[in-house]
Amino acid sequence: MTDRARTRERKAAGISILVALQALACAFFLADLVGDVLVDGFGLHLAVEAMAALALLVAVVLGALRVRGLIADARRDAAAVAVAQGALAELIRLRFAEWQLTAAEADVALFALKGCDIAEIARLRGSAAGTVRAQLARVYAKAGIDSQSGLIALFLEELIGLPAA
Amino acid sequence: MTATTANRRRWDPIVRITHWSVAIAVLANAVITEEGSGPHIWVGYALAAILALRLLWGLVGPPEARFSAFWPSPRKALGHLREIRAGKRTAHASHNPLGALMVYAIWGTLLTIIATGIAMAGPPPWDGAERGEGRHVAVAPGHAGERGEDGGEREDGEEGEEGEEGPLGEIHETAANLLYLLILLHLAGVIFETRRNGRQVLVAMAPIGR
Repeated sequence: MTDRARTRERKAAGISILVALQALACAFFLADLVGDVLVDGFGLHLAVEAMAALALLVAVVLGALRVRGLIADARRDAAAVAVAQGALAELIRLRFAEWQLTAAEADVALFALKGCDIAEIARLRGSAAGTVRAQLARVYAKAGIDSQSGLIALFLEELIGLPAA
Repeated sequence: MTATTANRRRWDPIVRITHWSVAIAVLANAVITEEGSGPHIWVGYALAAILALRLLWGLVGPPEARFSAFWPSPRKALGHLREIRAGKRTAHASHNPLGALMVYAIWGTLLTIIATGIAMAGPPPWDGAERGEGRHVAVAPGHAGERGEDGGEREDGEEGEEGEEGPLGEIHETAANLLYLLILLHLAGVIFETRRNGRQVLVAMAPIGR
């Protein structure tokens, strides 16, 4: 689960707790109101109290709708990310195949796409920096670009061009 | 993909908060508060508010929390039983069909308890004043004799106070006992589903944690 999703879930939980407390308060106000009306009859003071209780009731409903909206957003977000992830993974697979990268080159290119520099890639793959530099140079040549940012831009450009799902 | 399924697997916060609040309120009124006392009635009103929120959520909440997702259906419940017997497992987005029947049974019982409770206690103030009202109702002719006997039979240790409340008290208490039975069945169902389908059932309703 991503940080963003977790943040959103926490937010939904916080508002939910607030809504539950409002519901409690609202029930007590309404019960209290009924009791007062039975004892004292209906007056201006109680009319104001009634309005406050009703406003709280509306707040409960609106709060519930807000939580519903947050949950729906979170799910849409997760679905969109999943679709984009699937699409991007597929696109990367297609391009790498098109450029006829070897397995090692594809591996290095994927790390480069994720933003790793040569030293990091070398450490992750347990190979020498010189080897990685040579592999990257071959990847760039096959893809017709000349830098890591160029490689990233190739994919980003295609994603930006995608119509909104 | 993982994010979507992870979201699906847990109940939303409103469902979890209302579930555990109701559980705490029932436990409090069953074990801690004195029957008919001020705190007992306060907790009862709080439970009513929380249940009302859950029922509202059944109308406006996300799809799996809505009534439409777990409409009570004996046919589906029987189908579910057959699946259990056949050892098959189907994923349910909402409550499973047997669980749905349990949900409505518990809600119906809670509503009965709340309605009779409110009818007996009336609006606040409840500290002392409601006792008078309670007595008032209890003095109403016609039921005094049977009430006294029933109260004496059922509640040996208690003061027999709730026995004096007439038919409402009877219904209140019978429904409460039915509720305890339903809760035991609910727990048995959860344990059964946990053994059949894994800890997911527990995780979905866990109050906190990821």
